[in-house]
Amino acid sequence: MATTTTFKATDAQEAQPANWTRWLDLSDRSLAVLLLFPAAVLLALIIVYPVCRLVYTSFFNLSLTSGLPAEFAGLDNYRLMIGDPVFWETTWNTVLITLITVPGALLVGLGLALMANLSFAMQWPVRLSLLIPWALPLSFAGLIFAWFFHSEYGVVNDVLNRLGFEGIIWFNSPNWAFAAICLTIIWKTSSFMALIILAGLQTIPRSLYEAADVDGAGRLRQFFEITLPLLKPSIVVALIFRTITALQTFDIPYMMTGGGPGTSTSTLAMYIHQNTVSFLDLGYGSALAVVMFALSMCVTAVYLRMIRTKE
Amino acid sequence: MSMTLASGSTSFLSGKPLRLIAAGILLINGMFPALWILFTSLKTETELTAKPISWIPHAPTVQNFVQAFSDQPLHVFLFNSFMVALLSTALTLLVSVLAAYALARLNLTYRGLILSLIIAVSTFPLVTLLVPLFEIMRALNLLNSWTALILPYTVLSLPVCTLMLVSFFEGIPRDLENAAMIDGCTRMGALFKVVVPLCAPGVFTAGILAFVNAWDEFLLALSFNSNPSLRTLPVGIQLYQGEFAFPWPVISAALVVGIVPVAILIVIFQERVVSGLTAGGIKG
Repeated sequence: MATTTTFKATDAQEAQPANWTRWLDLSDRSLAVLLLFPAAVLLALIIVYPVCRLVYTSFFNLSLTSGLPAEFAGLDNYRLMIGDPVFWETTWNTVLITLITVPGALLVGLGLALMANLSFAMQWPVRLSLLIPWALPLSFAGLIFAWFFHSEYGVVNDVLNRLGFEGIIWFNSPNWAFAAICLTIIWKTSSFMALIILAGLQTIPRSLYEAADVDGAGRLRQFFEITLPLLKPSIVVALIFRTITALQTFDIPYMMTGGGPGTSTSTLAMYIHQNTVSFLDLGYGSALAVVMFALSMCVTAVYLRMIRTKE
Repeated sequence: MSMTLASGSTSFLSGKPLRLIAAGILLINGMFPALWILFTSLKTETELTAKPISWIPHAPTVQNFVQAFSDQPLHVFLFNSFMVALLSTALTLLVSVLAAYALARLNLTYRGLILSLIIAVSTFPLVTLLVPLFEIMRALNLLNSWTALILPYTVLSLPVCTLMLVSFFEGIPRDLENAAMIDGCTRMGALFKVVVPLCAPGVFTAGILAFVNAWDEFLLALSFNSNPSLRTLPVGIQLYQGEFAFPWPVISAALVVGIVPVAILIVIFQERVVSGLTAGGIKG
């Protein structure tokens, strides 16, 4: 009896370090699985499962206000969507915002980057002037610019008045409200574009410009034949990410106009939110989200293909 | 790839007056909106409604700030925003450090595929998850809780932070870890005692990025946490709006209070933020 107990104790003592070492000697592959596990769980819980559920829900009549249980509806939600003028209007607004603000932010950002690339005695104020708009929450930017474009006390109309023009009642007209939103988005996002382009600018070797100088190429020609072509990769990446975020536009119009007047400045994201949170119509909200998902994934597919061809 | 905004050398523009004009435009473009809100927050109601409007407040008052805190529980909004941002940043960093180490150091068969997947996820529109996440949070009884925001915010920053950390980890020589492991460190010990400290600036940058992402997020916070005591700052700030009145000086004061913490963060760590943004955190 006694011997057995002693034997067992020694066995346990020896087994423990042995197990511990085995744990340390995990093959790279098992360790990798272990390390990637938390990220995989989070992605599965917050993205993979919800996406599957989204597609599933979009085939159901599921409205929390009706109190009725979910009922399979087939393509009803999608049929409803095709005949829904608000869906088309909000989608068109989203596409229009993307088509205006992405190139707009690129042009402004390119200008800002070229200016920020000049040599200044002090770098930090310049850097800060690009970082502050980036770090400012979109919702704050929406409120700040709503105040900027205020018809009576707004600084924009004040400047217009001082220059001898009549002030504009920005938020009463669909077109002016839309313009104000686009200007705000361009301001908010151009600084980020500028930061990315600036990083690209600083990788261009100075010698290229010196050689061009020797060859007698003017500044403008240098810009179009050296600067722009070499900037192309960083510009393309910035453009794609901006396009994807532009398709999701919510905060700025929500804060500035609430989608008004009427639904003239409402975006697809706002319509999804409205159907989900205000009307609690989860089935229809899901169908709308599936459309946005598809739009967004198309852009991502282009992006992935470009990365792959680059490698 | 570490990059700072060194003095430019490759511009096609030059000349001193031109530089002054450029600096002026950059500063006005970047700072004016924030400055204008600061000016507005210091104005009295009478000064605000004077015509033509005065640009600089002539009789600055802190009354709007006092009112911003008394009209709405601004300190509660601040606290919620801060805690949600801080906790999701911590979780993001922990999870992405582990994942990035696996991707940078262990020879994975599907490394390329996993990296492509991460890039794909980083472009994911969070709006589309509104409905299913709303259902999940409702089912788990998590609506009106910090957790309802911390989990999605962590996933929001996870891809970008992981990609960034992979590039930072790859810059650390493997010999350093091997030496630590020969000295008796475990592999995880080597990661947290050698690799992470050496990459501290990179980890820190990823952290700032995650923090700013969480601090800015509005849609999910608006949809999931409507309980007044759990509202975050961007959501809470809307409450100042009355049915007919829009108390702009008070709202401006609340906005200033919300901008200052992030502005301080950016001022202190500007160089790191820039290098991080350009190294791998391509998302705006």
